[in-house]
Amino acid sequence: MSIAISSLTPSTIAETSAAKVVSLPMQGRLSLRARDGLDKLGAALGLSLPQKIGQCARADGIEAVCLGPDEWTLLLPLDQVATVTEALAALMPELPHALTDISGREVTFRIEGTRAAELLTIGCARDLSGVAPGEARRTLFDVATVVLWHDGENAFRMDVWNSFAPFIAQTLEVGCKELAAEAA
Amino acid sequence: MSKFRLRGKGRVDASQPVVFTFDGKPYTGVKGDTVASALLSHGVHLMGRSFKYHRPRGAIAAGSEEPNALIGTRRGPGRFEPNTRATVQEIWNGLDASSQNKFPSLKFDVGAVNDAAYMLFSAGFYYKTFMWPRSFWDKVYEPFIRAAAGLGVSPTEEDPDTYASRNLHCDLLIVGAGPTGIAAAREAAGKGLSVVLVDENPEMGGTLLSEPQAHINGKAAWDWLADELAALKEAGVKLMTRTTAIGYYHQNLIGMVEKLTDHLAELPADTPRERMWRVRAKQVLLAQGALEKPLVFHGNDRPGVMLAGSAQTYLNRYGVKVGDSPMVITSHDSAWYAAFDLHDAGARVQAIVDTRASVRENLQAEARNRGIPVKLNHTVTATGGRLRVNNVRINPMDGSRVGHGQWIKCDCLLMSGGWTPSLHLFSHTKGKLTWDDDMTTFLPDQTPEDCVIAGASRGLWGLEAALEDGSAKAREVLAALGTEAEISEYTVANDRPGTGVTMRELPTDRSAGKAKAFVDYQNDVTAKDLRLAVREGMRSIEHVKRYTTNGMATDQGKMSNINGLNIAADALGKRQPEVGLTTFRPPYTPTTFGAFAGYHRGDHFEVTRKTQIDSWAEARGAVFEPVGQWRRARYFPQAGEDMDAAVTRECAATRKSVGIFDASTLGKIEVVGPDAAEFVNRMYTNPFLKLAPGKCRYGLLLGDDGFIRDDGVIARVGEDRFHVTTTTGGAARVLTMMEDYLQTEWPDLNVWLTSTTEQYSTIALNGPNAAKLLQPFVKDFALTEENFPHMSCVDVEVAGYPARLWRVSFTGEIGFEINVAAPHGRDLWEKLWEAGQPYDITPYGTETMHVLRAEKGYIIVGQDTDGTVTPHDAGMSWAVGKKKADFVGMRGLARPDLTDPNRKQLVGLISEDKSKLEEGAQIVFDPKQPIPMTMRGHVTSSYDQGTTGQPIALALVEGGHAKMGETVYIPMEDRTIAAKITGTVFLDPENTRLKI
Repeated sequence: MSIAISSLTPSTIAETSAAKVVSLPMQGRLSLRARDGLDKLGAALGLSLPQKIGQCARADGIEAVCLGPDEWTLLLPLDQVATVTEALAALMPELPHALTDISGREVTFRIEGTRAAELLTIGCARDLSGVAPGEARRTLFDVATVVLWHDGENAFRMDVWNSFAPFIAQTLEVGCKELAAEAA
Repeated sequence: MSKFRLRGKGRVDASQPVVFTFDGKPYTGVKGDTVASALLSHGVHLMGRSFKYHRPRGAIAAGSEEPNALIGTRRGPGRFEPNTRATVQEIWNGLDASSQNKFPSLKFDVGAVNDAAYMLFSAGFYYKTFMWPRSFWDKVYEPFIRAAAGLGVSPTEEDPDTYASRNLHCDLLIVGAGPTGIAAAREAAGKGLSVVLVDENPEMGGTLLSEPQAHINGKAAWDWLADELAALKEAGVKLMTRTTAIGYYHQNLIGMVEKLTDHLAELPADTPRERMWRVRAKQVLLAQGALEKPLVFHGNDRPGVMLAGSAQTYLNRYGVKVGDSPMVITSHDSAWYAAFDLHDAGARVQAIVDTRASVRENLQAEARNRGIPVKLNHTVTATGGRLRVNNVRINPMDGSRVGHGQWIKCDCLLMSGGWTPSLHLFSHTKGKLTWDDDMTTFLPDQTPEDCVIAGASRGLWGLEAALEDGSAKAREVLAALGTEAEISEYTVANDRPGTGVTMRELPTDRSAGKAKAFVDYQNDVTAKDLRLAVREGMRSIEHVKRYTTNGMATDQGKMSNINGLNIAADALGKRQPEVGLTTFRPPYTPTTFGAFAGYHRGDHFEVTRKTQIDSWAEARGAVFEPVGQWRRARYFPQAGEDMDAAVTRECAATRKSVGIFDASTLGKIEVVGPDAAEFVNRMYTNPFLKLAPGKCRYGLLLGDDGFIRDDGVIARVGEDRFHVTTTTGGAARVLTMMEDYLQTEWPDLNVWLTSTTEQYSTIALNGPNAAKLLQPFVKDFALTEENFPHMSCVDVEVAGYPARLWRVSFTGEIGFEINVAAPHGRDLWEKLWEAGQPYDITPYGTETMHVLRAEKGYIIVGQDTDGTVTPHDAGMSWAVGKKKADFVGMRGLARPDLTDPNRKQLVGLISEDKSKLEEGAQIVFDPKQPIPMTMRGHVTSSYDQGTTGQPIALALVEGGHAKMGETVYIPMEDRTIAAKITGTVFLDPENTRLKI
């Protein structure tokens, strides 16, 4: 595998008539776990935590997705990680929860283009027509667990752990070319 | 125009000639031809030699069920495929096709001596012949059988093609685009459902392509077909051709292989050769039609003998007359129409021979009108001709008596034994079959999947019946999908409904025991073989099949299974369902390995996980080793160094000054919550409740059986937060085990786990100068013994990056592990590398790490343990909290066999002759005992590149802890090595080197 991927140096992975795949710069990313007190946690974050798996909420530069019955991932600017961490820490120990910094853990690919959704079918067994724009899912793409954000028509983001990113990028690159050749 | 091509007939494009070669000789076909139809257009029937007897063979069929006409195809270097069906392979300019199983040539083949000796090669031949003498097996029999086995030649070059895969979700998948499938699709189209119609052929239409005479709802069949397909496309139905549904798996998952380039003269860029579709359909409608059965008689495999329906297909679809003077032998009405079509196309049909005593009067009238002789109640008893049939012997039947034979000249013999519903995919669903005595065939019954089956594949016959059933079954499916459809009416003019009877071997006046009456053409199984198998005691069709290999070739018995069953049942005197039907298994037709592999080949075969520092190691010429999915630098050889030299240098440099090591692959789990300490304390054997924030502790993880599963250093980074490390290979397993306990045993605990393995790049610095090197990078924190003792942790800034800095050691030297956000790891590594130059900083790999830790007696889980080693066995009783109320594995550890003092225990070994012991070598106490000796243990780790001046080893030895100083023996191939049992710590037992 020759593709080097780092969130420090965003790059274009592939660009064809079918779709374009780029890696995005590093951003703040926190894993939030809690069973109760979602109102208070949400208030501290400035948004209402979504409670249905796959649903997202957005406010003030923070994007939250519910990934499990007690699990959320928060996306935010890197320089806000400390602020948010402190705000939630203040709720302990009265409100038991867990906040873990995972900003360095993964790379995000932006996938867009007329056949972006089709590109995802080369590695994702899930029926993505059931994921409405604005929602996200944790699922499998090729060999890796990913979080897939459906941002809009023909626009997705895919979060992949660092060490899987080059392999996944290669799959996406091959797929972009294949789809473009198919249309030609 | 080639001799047997008919102008104006067929769906091929006669204006576009295509030139290809067969066995080196150029042939011209036309666009739309298969290799078989193109060769037949030149009167070439001989296309291959058979598997066992090397008998000359031609195409029997016109589709994917073809058992005989298997060829090799080549498209330049690397692109060779054996056993391709000539009846499926489309021709393109430059295609290089060749026949198989012949030497020196197709027309003269020395292997055909097997044919003369056929009485020897009966069923079970190998089992009986190659039994004795026993010693002949390895040197004579097995090589002979292996050389003789297999059709075609395996490709030897690497396949340069690419393969792809895609997932597809739909409401309705229809398999088979004949009249049934098209009628079903039409019913479902335009209702807001996603509908997929798939067919293995290059063109949709199925049997309609061979029946242009029909008129459907007033339209000529082919006009109707074109209009219907256009309408389906317009309505958004996804139409997929050259795509074979190969398997039906659980919960309506259907595997389909789409062939994208095998028919093209020029390979388009970025286009895979084949694509595997994984389709998840809410409902599936199977409309695979029926396959024609051959008749079983002496000489039924001679080139020129083919299925009547296939001859009709060659005529009507490809515009190819398979002969000028055909003859027909049948037990079903359908073959009569093939005779009529051929007559009407100018052939002189020599006779229609029917085994039945009475046949529908209108068929007989049509034959009379055309002047075709009809022989009812007749049988065929032989065929003549060397490489092509040129006459046929027919005999009248009278009850069970067979009268005198009469030879009739012909240039091809068209046969039909009736039709078998295609139940392959239905059978994959575990669908139940039911035997129909009237039709002498299995029909589909119940299936556990959301699947219906329609048309000829459930025994219906004729276009009108197929269309109506496709429509009716589609309505059933639509109802299940919550949609309604109006009833479509179909009226078919010139339809060809028909019936027939099922025959076993055709009656003969000659010795049945000498008849070469083939049932399985591909495996050369005759009716005689099947009866022999029954005589020799085979009772179930499964046994008969394995004994004779009937139905076990790549065509999976598409033609032979039902004839084989009828004959075996007759020989057993039982009804067919009592004898059974062999199970159909995916794939429906032979499928390439490439299609299954998809994108996962070459450098994309499997993910190789790399750290952020990996590229630095690669640039430095590191040699890597796989650890789980990761690759890790094993050692960093300098010019001229082998592994031993490099590791010896790396070890010495680390003990002398400072070594730098990439520990990023270690598994990391963040354990957070008010009950974090309680949770970690329950999971690990060591006590963690009182570990203060800012401190680290080694942790040993057991399974509930009491055996060591994993280990690692655990840091309490906050009151309610632990940073747990695991072995590289154990990361996912440990997290899963922890989640399992948390969710099932202790859901009351307020604690959560997050994988942080990839959150951090972890750089280890070890050696006497480690603190000196690191200190300048650490902001406002003194790396002194007092301020930061061994087994401490702190959150600080290192080189400007927020870091979790640990004072830990896996080498016995002063050691630090610096955890920074993963993307910054490379930069930090380079800064430390640069600043380390005055200290002769040395990068080391996993091999040096293994040596340095072994010198200190630190175990590696999975190397010094094997899943049967307890903490006590490993000499690590100190790691088991004596006062703990409970931990995972505590109860297991109390089992009597785990407290036995004579268990295998981890000890050190020093060989007396100072040689390096072999890892895995067995250990005995008494080297003079007779063989087989009683083995008392084995060497788990052994090194001679270390810094203690002698080779060292770790070993598991029975009762080893009580045997300090005793001598054990390691018998090797050339000598026996004596070794002394020692403690496991070979260096600095007082740990003075750990002090700053």
